[in-house]
Amino acid sequence: MSTLAIAAPAGRRLGISAIVLIILALFVLLVLAGIAFGSTWLPLEKVARVILGGGEKTEKLVVWQLRMPRVAAAGIAGAAIAFSGYLLQRITRNELASPGVLGVVDGAALGVVLFLAIFSNESNALTVPVAWQPLAAAIGALTAISLVFILSGRQSSSAIRLLLFGIAIAAVAKALTTVFMLVGPIYQAAQAARWLAGAVNAISWSEIQIMALCLVPTVIVAAWLAKDLPPADLDDVSSRSIGLNLPVYRIAVFFVAAVLTSIAVAFVGGVGFLGLIAPHLARLLVGRARFAGIVASCLLGAMMLIGADLLVRVAFTPLEVPAGTVTAIVGAPYFLFLLMRKDKTNG
Amino acid sequence: MADVPSRIEVRDLTLMYGHETVLDALSLPIPRGKVTVLAGPNGCGKSTLLRAIRRLHTGQKGQIFLDAVDIASLGAKELARQIGLLAQNPSAPPDMTVEELVRLGRYPHQAMLQPWSEKDGVAVNRAMAGTGVTGLKTRRIGSLSGGQLQRAWIAMVLAQETDVICLDEPVNHLDMAHQLDCLDLVSQLNREDGRTIVLVLHDLNLAARYADQLVFVHEGRVRALGQPEELMKPELLAEVFEVDAAIMTDPVHGRPICIPRGRARAAVQERA
Repeated sequence: MSTLAIAAPAGRRLGISAIVLIILALFVLLVLAGIAFGSTWLPLEKVARVILGGGEKTEKLVVWQLRMPRVAAAGIAGAAIAFSGYLLQRITRNELASPGVLGVVDGAALGVVLFLAIFSNESNALTVPVAWQPLAAAIGALTAISLVFILSGRQSSSAIRLLLFGIAIAAVAKALTTVFMLVGPIYQAAQAARWLAGAVNAISWSEIQIMALCLVPTVIVAAWLAKDLPPADLDDVSSRSIGLNLPVYRIAVFFVAAVLTSIAVAFVGGVGFLGLIAPHLARLLVGRARFAGIVASCLLGAMMLIGADLLVRVAFTPLEVPAGTVTAIVGAPYFLFLLMRKDKTNG
Repeated sequence: MADVPSRIEVRDLTLMYGHETVLDALSLPIPRGKVTVLAGPNGCGKSTLLRAIRRLHTGQKGQIFLDAVDIASLGAKELARQIGLLAQNPSAPPDMTVEELVRLGRYPHQAMLQPWSEKDGVAVNRAMAGTGVTGLKTRRIGSLSGGQLQRAWIAMVLAQETDVICLDEPVNHLDMAHQLDCLDLVSQLNREDGRTIVLVLHDLNLAARYADQLVFVHEGRVRALGQPEELMKPELLAEVFEVDAAIMTDPVHGRPICIPRGRARAAVQERA
């Protein structure tokens, strides 16, 4: 143990930078692959030519209008959800915390299902543009997280309380979502199911722009809050006695994390487990370092969603399986592995 | 002791947990540059009092003055530069290094736009040297023994460079040698740097040995305070701690020590 621990800090920092650079390189490769692969294969040099402003008309269309939006949306949303998960795992000092357990994802789902139920007519068509769906999701997500805070009331400064209320709200939202899907018309149920599983296939540049515009201020606030994460690593009494206003700080972090996830899931749907796995994997790779941890979490989160989307495009064509299905299929066993490992270390 | 101005003045402090009164209009002076030890039976409110002095409870009524300034008017970081506190069961992530932990003690000294200064580095190194953990600085918290861990935490509090240091049962899980190590270190901080120390201790004999001012807390109030010789009296111990004890003078340090014979209920009844 001691020989392992005595590593020169400078050497360790170098190692961490190298790991982050490797992750970054893989990320770039995956982005290029995400554009190159699809129903037709586009060689990498053509992809590069189009990105640099050249290429033929059809290549441009495929790259800029068909594939790039998916990759960009998956990347941005994946990174946002992973950042949110990173903040939550750190502030709760619990590696099993994730945006999903705060009720954010299920709240957004309920918002979408309600939107589809309210705004469709007898012939099963929407009476308002489908572009409003993200707004409904965001309202659902923010309502859920607000309820969690209101219900936990004065106890909202306790991380475990917030998580428990989050799980309760998530369960209620999930039950209501199921009810509305069962009683709703078929079209609506199918449309809702696609969203619930998470899908980036239908996203447009204008939606990506809105998502990015909402995320920029949120990410700035989150990054500013993140500088106080190290004192919050200590127990409550110790972190407060070194001068951190922990009750207020904790609520701020929870809220910002919830907003980050709300924005992302509003556009790409309920992508499961991403917010749990990406930050956890980042921690395994780069350890406690904060800046590297955040960067690695975001890159890994982006890669997971881009990779999942790429996989469903290549493996299941012409069927469009929602990308969230893949993250869930990969994520659930990882979650179980975490639980079992935790048991072992505890006992 | 009366002519020495108090460093901290607790006035009419009341604290409720739900409907239960934990501190009941408690008043207490804490003299400057002395070691004050809070003692009392389980659940008497001594740890709560210590945390209240550091303003860690919400809904505490009454006032606490730090050099005649009400601490309610101080900001979180400002107060953390004045009073340090070592929690009873502190915890840090097991993969945090000792140096990382000690550096956290500098948190209240860091402003938003000037993160880490040379002064911070000097304070961290001094704190680690003073507690003998310099050689452990790259070790992870999870790999330390109980005694090493406690010294690392004390180093964290020292790096905070506060004039008042509160320690909540700092020797609880330590063996005898490490108990003495820890309390000698605290005592040295007081004698050499003139810091004001407030300790919660369970062991009455240790309390009597290290205290300049001993305070008996009983049912949320201060039952008695003074020098150990004044407080270590059989009647008082019977009342506060419910033990029937003989008091002797420790032949090595000249401080009073108590030897409990048994529970006090019978003794009290006999006398009545």
